[in-house]
Formats: sequence, structure tokens, C-alpha cells
Amino acid sequence: MTDIIALSIVCLAALIHASFQLSISTLTLMSGHSLGHGRSHMRLIGLLGGFTAGAATMTTLLVCTLGLLLSYLVHSEQVPPVLWAASCGMLFGVGLAVWLFYYRKGKGTMLWLPRQTADFLAERSKKTKNTGEAFALGLASVFGELLFIAAPLLVSVLIILPLTPGVQLLGILLYVGISMSSLLVVATLVSGGHKLSEIQRWREANKTFLQFTAGSALFVLGFYLYVNEVLTIPLAAGGLAS
Amino acid sequence: MTGGKAIDIVKSSGKRSTESFNRDKLHRSIKAACLSERSHDGEATNTADKVCDAVIIWLEQRPVVTSHDIRRVASKHLTRYHPGAAYIYEHHRYTI
Repeated sequence: MTDIIALSIVCLAALIHASFQLSISTLTLMSGHSLGHGRSHMRLIGLLGGFTAGAATMTTLLVCTLGLLLSYLVHSEQVPPVLWAASCGMLFGVGLAVWLFYYRKGKGTMLWLPRQTADFLAERSKKTKNTGEAFALGLASVFGELLFIAAPLLVSVLIILPLTPGVQLLGILLYVGISMSSLLVVATLVSGGHKLSEIQRWREANKTFLQFTAGSALFVLGFYLYVNEVLTIPLAAGGLAS
Repeated sequence: MTGGKAIDIVKSSGKRSTESFNRDKLHRSIKAACLSERSHDGEATNTADKVCDAVIIWLEQRPVVTSHDIRRVASKHLTRYHPGAAYIYEHHRYTI
């Protein structure tokens, strides 16, 4: 696999990560409470910055930690096919779960998460007053999404691991940057003075599309990797042997 | 209070006990919804006053209502003055 193809796969996985909505929901809620309490625009920008920095930090930590743990399993330049098969199974499973369960039925953009997690984040977003708390909320919101982001994270780490250190760093930066893009767009819109109702209405109107796209992208990525990393390599090895 | 008449509010979840209607609490939540839609403070206070008055008139003939009823009626009246704020007021519990 060339560096360009590897980084393209990382970009696709990061885009899938970016389409997940828990951090965006938490950011929207936090902004609403901040504006509702009549806090200044500078304070709001501080909260948005703190939240985004927290989410980016947690994503970086997750990528690096998973990379470190998997580096004990992957010693050569070739990731074992069994690991790829497990990752592809995870992509298919999460893709199906996203198609079927990602949003709860009914109005709004309620997600299929453990209610304690959702209630905790909603309660914390109400009580967030300074940048440090917003940073912690950003960390927690990415962690709360782990159930869904685990699959694209794992695949990205498996792709990044066999690369050279310079390209590995580029891969991590690309993953974190792209996965934060949706959050950055919403933070920019809110800090630019857009109304929260417009943002929330757009999210609600397009939630089925986002759900279908994320689920389909997980399937496409899983299928591509299964064919390339699980089926092709044994076939190529068989061809060489004969 | 609504002209001295106590009205019990039954909490929607059923987990907490009933409480008396509190105009200030309703006023605060409606004002916060207006402010989160970037209304000016005066405009938000004015809108919250009008919605609270409308809710109190609606409450006059009802000794017991649920908090969900209050939210629904307040949201209906808020839609007339500030549709964006009404959307936020009604939907903020369905965001996450």
C-alpha cells in the first residue's frame, strides 16, 4: 500500500468520525446555555475554543494510545490478516448499528447512547462556565462517542502503524484535523453569530441523510479493506507459491 | 403565582413530587431561550412577560397540570413572538 492510498484511507475514516454527532450536540447545547445566561461573546468564543481543543486532545490521545497498544501486536511492516478481518467485522457491525440505531426515533437529534452518558453531558454542558470546564467537556464528549468512533479509529491506527515515522505523524494530524472539521464548522458558525435554531434545524432535517452516509461509508471502507487486506494478500501469496 | 391561586405542577418524569407553579422559573427559561437566539435583553424580557401572562391565563381554569403541558403551551405562545426561540425552548431536551 502506498503512502497516498494509506493517507486517503485515514482521511475517509476521519470523515466518518466527523459525521458522528455527539460532540456537535454537546457543543450546541453548551453554546445555548452560555448565550441563555447572557455571557459575553468573548466568553462564548473561549468556551467553543476550549471544547474543540478538548475534543481534539482526546482524539489525539485515543489514536496514540491505540497505536501504542497495537504496536505490541504488529512487529513487521505487515498487519496480520486476522487483525484486518476483526477490524472489517467491526466496521460492518458499527455500520449496521449506525444505519439501524444511531438516532433515536422522534423529534430532535437524540442519539442512541446510554441515557446516563447523555444526561451527564447535558447536565455538564449546562454547568460549563469557563474554558477549563469546556475543555473537559470536549474530552468527555469524544470519550462518550467511543462506541461508534472505535471502528474508524482502529482502522486508521492499523493503516498508520506500518508507515514511516514522518508519514505516521502526518496521518495522525490528518485524522485529528479532519475528524474535528464538523465541530470546527459548527463552532465557527456559532461564534460568527448564526442562530442556534438554524443550526439545530439543519441537523434535524438532515439527520437521516447523515446517518445513512456514515453507515454506508463504514460499509464501503470495510469492504475495500477486506478485499485488499484479507482476501488479496493470501491470494497473492498463493499465486507466488504456485 | 396566578392571582393567589396555587397550581400544582406534576413533573413529567413522575420521579419527583409535584411543585407549585412558579412564574419566575418559567420567565427565566423563556428569557434564556430568547437570549440563546441572540435577542436583546429587553426584547427577551418583554417576550418572556407576554408568554408568562398567556400561560397564567391558560392556567386559571386548571388546578393541576403537568410540566409537559406548561412547556407545550408556553412554546405555542412563544412561537407567535419568536419562532426560533420557541424551537430551542421545545427541542433543547432532544438535542443529545
